[in-house]
Amino acid sequence: MKRNTFQRLDLKSLFKPLLLGGFVVAILGLLLDLHGAVKAKNHGEVCQEIVQSKATLSRAQLAKLLTIPERDPKTKVQSILKAPYCKLPKLEVRAGVKAEREAYPLEFDPQTWLVILYEGDEYAGYQFSFR
Amino acid sequence: MRGTSLVFVRLGIAIAILVLLRLGCSRQQTTEFTPKKIQLAQTWELQPGSAIAGYSVAGGLGDISIVLAGKSVFAPFAGSVQPYQGTCVLFASDEVPAYLFRLCGLKQPQLGDVRQGDVIGSGTYLQFAALRKQPNGTWAFVEPSRNILERTLKQP
Repeated sequence: MKRNTFQRLDLKSLFKPLLLGGFVVAILGLLLDLHGAVKAKNHGEVCQEIVQSKATLSRAQLAKLLTIPERDPKTKVQSILKAPYCKLPKLEVRAGVKAEREAYPLEFDPQTWLVILYEGDEYAGYQFSFR
Repeated sequence: MRGTSLVFVRLGIAIAILVLLRLGCSRQQTTEFTPKKIQLAQTWELQPGSAIAGYSVAGGLGDISIVLAGKSVFAPFAGSVQPYQGTCVLFASDEVPAYLFRLCGLKQPQLGDVRQGDVIGSGTYLQFAALRKQPNGTWAFVEPSRNILERTLKQP
């Protein structure tokens, strides 16, 4: 009987530091995760208008796009890429010049979008956006 | 026996905490920022960061100078801030292809990934330049719009 009481006490005293340790580790882990999440998350801008909900960009289309130099006509790029998934909000980066942005998720990596920027009838450039 | 178990438990906890702390610290320490190199389309001999007669050049071709008076500037979009020449940094965003923004004069700028509206830094003056990518791969100074400057000077 005495031995049982001793065993219960022994377990209790063992669990206390374990619980405390677990609590500390959980809090630290959470803080570290939050630190990572806050730094890494970049959802980017929200689409203003969905154009073609199933639109994606294939490797072949991407390869063709890379051959087009900046300042070429917008229509040349659009004939390769077809309709975008969505349009991002319009911008004015250069004074007096309206910029349009269209986004295409990559067929082989849908979490990565290709963002295209046009200024007037001109293709200005592209960038990959990691969603 | 009981004492030994307690020692092991505490030792395990201490090691776990140390490992976590080490992981946390190493994440920050491994982030190194090397000055970004870009080729400008229009080059002047004196650039921000150059020295002339013992003085440092704070601004140059293409800059809009803003009297910040110690106030902060903000990331106009989600993007990243990289060191450039002198006290200058370059801001780039995946959301704004073909453009870079050069910000000079900021004290202890925040380098690395930033979200839209995050403080990039503060200073007495801000020299702001917008650079547009050219077909030959160089970057040309262009006139920044009011909207871009407002996004940089006001938190959304």
